[in-house]
Amino acid sequence: MSYEVNRRLVRRREPLPSAADIDAVTAGIIRGAFETICYETATHLGRAASSAIINQSNERNASVIDAHGRLAGLSVGIPQLLFISPLAVRWGLEHFAVDDWGPGDVFVGNDPDHGGGHLPDYNVYAPCFDAAGELVAIQALQAHQGDTGGKDPGGFSVDATDIYQEGMAIPRLKLVHRGEPRRDALEMLVRNNRFPSFSGDIAAMVSGSQRGAQLLDELVAKWGGDAVRGAINWNIRETERRFRQEVEGWPDGCYEADVWIDHDTVGNEDVQVHVACTVEGDQLTVDLTGSDARPELTCVWNTFSNSRGYAMAQLVSMVDPSIVKNEGLFDAVDMVLPEGTIVHPPPDKPAALGAFHPACEIGEAICIALSEILPRRSSPQVYKLGMPNAVIGVDSQGQMWMDQGVDVRASDASATEGIDGWGSMCSGLGNLVLAQAEDAESRFPVLNLSREMTTDTGGAGRWRGQPGTRNIKQVLEPTTAVAWMVSKKHPLRGLRGGADGGPYSNFFEFGTDSEYEIENSIQAQLPADAVIAYQYGGGAGFEDALLRDPEAVREDVLDEYVSVEAARDLYGVVLRGSVEAFDIEVDAEATRRLREERGRAGEPAP
Amino acid sequence: MSLRIGIDVGGTFTDFALLDGDEVLLEKMSSTPDDNSQAVMAGLEKLAARRGQSLGEMLAAADAIVHGTTVADNALIQMKGPVTGLLTTEGFRDELELRRGYKEDIWDVRLAPPPAIAPRRRRLTVPERIRADGSIHTPLDEAAARRAIERMGRQGVESVAISLLFAFVNPIHEQRLAELVAEMLPGVEISLSHEVLPRAPEFERTSTTVVNAFVGPGVSGYLDRLVERLSEAGYARDLLVMQSSGGVMTREYLRGMPIRILASGPAGGVVGGARVGAAKSAPDLLCVDMGGTSYDVSMVMDGSASADAGWNWHHRYLVAVPMVKVETLGAGGGSIAQVRHGVLEVGPESAGADPGPICYGRGGQRPTVTDAILVLGLLSPESDFAGGDFRLSRDGVDAGFEKEVAGPLGCSVEEAAFDCWRIVNANMTQAVRRTTAGKGIDPRGLTMLAYGGNGPVFAAIQAEELGIEKVVVPRASPAFSALGALAAPPMIDEERSYLISAAAADRAHLGGLWGELSKRAQGFFEAAGFASSEVRADFQMNLRYPGQNWSLTVDVASGSSDQEAGDLDAAGLEKTIARFHELHEEEYGYNRDGESPEITGVRLVSRAAIPEPRFGSGLTEEFRDVTPSAERRANLGRGFETVGIYHGPELVPGDRVKAPGIIEETFTTIVVYPGWQAVVDAAGDYLLLRAS
Repeated sequence: MSYEVNRRLVRRREPLPSAADIDAVTAGIIRGAFETICYETATHLGRAASSAIINQSNERNASVIDAHGRLAGLSVGIPQLLFISPLAVRWGLEHFAVDDWGPGDVFVGNDPDHGGGHLPDYNVYAPCFDAAGELVAIQALQAHQGDTGGKDPGGFSVDATDIYQEGMAIPRLKLVHRGEPRRDALEMLVRNNRFPSFSGDIAAMVSGSQRGAQLLDELVAKWGGDAVRGAINWNIRETERRFRQEVEGWPDGCYEADVWIDHDTVGNEDVQVHVACTVEGDQLTVDLTGSDARPELTCVWNTFSNSRGYAMAQLVSMVDPSIVKNEGLFDAVDMVLPEGTIVHPPPDKPAALGAFHPACEIGEAICIALSEILPRRSSPQVYKLGMPNAVIGVDSQGQMWMDQGVDVRASDASATEGIDGWGSMCSGLGNLVLAQAEDAESRFPVLNLSREMTTDTGGAGRWRGQPGTRNIKQVLEPTTAVAWMVSKKHPLRGLRGGADGGPYSNFFEFGTDSEYEIENSIQAQLPADAVIAYQYGGGAGFEDALLRDPEAVREDVLDEYVSVEAARDLYGVVLRGSVEAFDIEVDAEATRRLREERGRAGEPAP
Repeated sequence: MSLRIGIDVGGTFTDFALLDGDEVLLEKMSSTPDDNSQAVMAGLEKLAARRGQSLGEMLAAADAIVHGTTVADNALIQMKGPVTGLLTTEGFRDELELRRGYKEDIWDVRLAPPPAIAPRRRRLTVPERIRADGSIHTPLDEAAARRAIERMGRQGVESVAISLLFAFVNPIHEQRLAELVAEMLPGVEISLSHEVLPRAPEFERTSTTVVNAFVGPGVSGYLDRLVERLSEAGYARDLLVMQSSGGVMTREYLRGMPIRILASGPAGGVVGGARVGAAKSAPDLLCVDMGGTSYDVSMVMDGSASADAGWNWHHRYLVAVPMVKVETLGAGGGSIAQVRHGVLEVGPESAGADPGPICYGRGGQRPTVTDAILVLGLLSPESDFAGGDFRLSRDGVDAGFEKEVAGPLGCSVEEAAFDCWRIVNANMTQAVRRTTAGKGIDPRGLTMLAYGGNGPVFAAIQAEELGIEKVVVPRASPAFSALGALAAPPMIDEERSYLISAAAADRAHLGGLWGELSKRAQGFFEAAGFASSEVRADFQMNLRYPGQNWSLTVDVASGSSDQEAGDLDAAGLEKTIARFHELHEEEYGYNRDGESPEITGVRLVSRAAIPEPRFGSGLTEEFRDVTPSAERRANLGRGFETVGIYHGPELVPGDRVKAPGIIEETFTTIVVYPGWQAVVDAAGDYLLLRAS
């Protein structure tokens, strides 16, 4: 059934009816107003929410969706998730009459089989009408909830076989009718959530969407519904035009890639994502046919709406960032998400973990495929970790504590043409704020021993991936530790001949005789003073490492991103001197000979 | 009589405000970026001449010179500074590079990393470890430390930051490392994290300390040079320097932490704004400062501008000292208009002062905001500009617009200029909304205070778009930051970390921390010649709920600085916690009052009382409508029409200018948009009010 719903939800929508003659400047001003309204709405939620994931980590996303269900504008957040709300809102819009939509209403939806992302991502939305009573646009807010009322706290179950185990699915539910909260509906939501902070979060999402709708009302009152509709049409058309204009400049052809996930949560190996990106004139088609469809796979099913969002987040990272983000992007791209595969699962599949993998592999595959023709903007917008190491204990008063392990780290920060991987993660995650040792150690009986980058774990290349950090932590009391590992066998793939990023690995009771490696998922008891060591994967390298400027390799060795040995073995650069003595020099002649031996003679140095 | 001089060095102009009793003199000079002290001294000469004095006579009589400078900002913008290294705890070499995950642009994979102040080769670690409670987990390995310092030495390091985990609880290892560096690398500058920013967490402290190490020598050199020149010229008192917190302090105080003057530029204006607001019974202000390159937005609530110490990103580096919150938009008079991908954009690229807008006639070829408002008739080639320094010229302006804007968009030059005006307005409105949204405030309840050379040109139309009823344009608008600096109190605002559940807090320890801060502050104030009875102190505590990243600052007590702070009783702590729950409700709309919050530290703000410039108050009783001295064709948002032109210096309190009108002041232009009126209040300042 959900296939049929998805086919309908995803269909291209018509422009809004408008007789207004909109010029570029007015369209730009109204577009800017949408972005500011989204910013205000998201900021309101960030200020008002009670859980840390929303009010501290910035995991909240606001968008404006028009009366036809088209994305009209958005604000800062996480790109992948900013593209999720439209389909959930479209499901609501299909019931405009039966649900008696009107000014002052607020709705919620989170059902993967009715336009939603995964269950924890609640979409709350509120409509805005013009003076004639016609619907103009909808303010939507999306945020990750700490719990979904399923069998395991937190909503992530590594052994879930269907969605009912993960929690409560809400296709659409009216929470506020004409400004009056529906207390019965709100009580039911709150009752189905373990965390007391949820009531504050859902209240903040409701008031945030109402605030956004009120700002939209003011905008519509100022410009008139017709002008706002006209501006939405103009901007969406312009985005499609600019995206297509970029595609037109790409060489025609079919660009394919395969990416694998090490295993699902129960050990089925080599879960595959396949993509074919076809460029024909100004038309780009992204076809994921050929992706895994094994029915026995557990937890690696990405919801339909998420698959679209993750694919688009990668695509927009590969075009001019000044292209305005709205429905025009989806209008410009044909996406084929074959039914029954892990990128478009059958109804009732569990969905929580799929939003990590294969969601990220969809983006990665697109990046690899298009890197052939778009070297300047190829950088996978992904996180290859399964889950960080969370440690859970009980304090002297019997209170449970949890160090979630979202510590400062470097992972998957890849190179692109002319720029080595840098920072901590890919650009798209740049709004997140990672945790600090001095905070954690003041609260929990843990000691952060190290989280430095590990030399040689950045993918080698003409441009180098950033090394991953090894986060080593000691638990000072007996604790439970939880982990899910992937990306060891299949780390982040190098681009255009660059080397893969270093693999992930994870050891418990590190440095003792009882040391063991976590291969898949685990819930382990750790004795006091046990050490856990989590190696994050490095960023991917870009193009052949033998083409890297020897001077840049020398710099890397001085900075200990790269060892003297790797400089020779991977980069073909022979160095004299030592890092300690700060007298490293390139042996130009030996380097030339070594690179020649590797069969690269005559290739121009950069 | 007290004679005080405020000096504000900006990117384009250096502004002066001299206060002698109630008398205010303003002056403006072109800045001399190679050595800013040149413009400072030249301007002081000019002021002295206007007073019929020699420079020496004026300086000898001066009670205070208060100085705001962008020298630290410029070091970061140009990345000119010493070879800088970092010594840190083993295992934590890369905090600086990892930035807690932050990247400035989530959409642009081609954003390059910020230039590394301390690249990894100069970030060296030492085995040692202090625990959260200050106990030593691993003693300092001195042999390893010596090896690391030798490595620094081989790299020619000139300035070393030392930042170790939990050094703010127990600085013993940082202190020992500093001794070793001083011994092994004599003459090298040392910045210690427990002195520069003694609080958690490690990234914020480390980054601030490293930036301090980088900008410090330049700031110190500049201030020493200026102090010397002033002293040679006859000034006998302490130079007071503006800090980003909105307070000023002596050169001596800043010696260990010059980072505190970073981003101090806009702070003077905001402090001055707060005083103007207080004088005019407008405690809640939206301050907008539009100059040549930027549009700075800040807020004063309930008479004060809060200084946030935390997630302050500045020129791509995190600097966690207290900073008056200012949102900066790349929209000023010099912002360039261009068509990209068929869309008109204005700024952030700026023509600066040189070559400047086309109409400056200094060789600028690309149309700017100033050119646009000249085409619209808001400025005139017949009138003096920038205090009569020169006149604007229409030569080449039309051709510039034709080429860059009108041609590509297929419209007329006047339409192109009008579109620029609309876009700048929309961008500014959105910058204001981002600022007010961050505080959860509806701009409609605020009074706008507009200053800077270009602020008053756009003020009323901005207010119109934001639903604001009243705009204040101080007559000192163009040199307002310099005047504001004179209103800024000598101030020391410092924190000490103490991370603990409020339920388990040791009150004696809290008292000890305040005592330490208080003693430190008193020492500096005494050295600067302030009696302890002149210094008032606010004792504050930083709290948050478990699981939160950011703290709120709660007032605990205030009094004279020598008051014993160590006697926080159980009831006082209870009251503080209750106040935190209330404040959280006010700030975020909810609280978790069933839970015990976490204390993250204490803060002490000490201020000395000073004579301030008198900011005049309110409205006169009756208005007189004045007749324009001239007319010209201008577009004030509803097409070209005939607009009255008024000569500002001739207007007196009680005068009213009706829309549409343009008031030409010495250094600025005030536009009275349709639906608005301008009146001169009793203090001689302009009020823009909605016409009833």
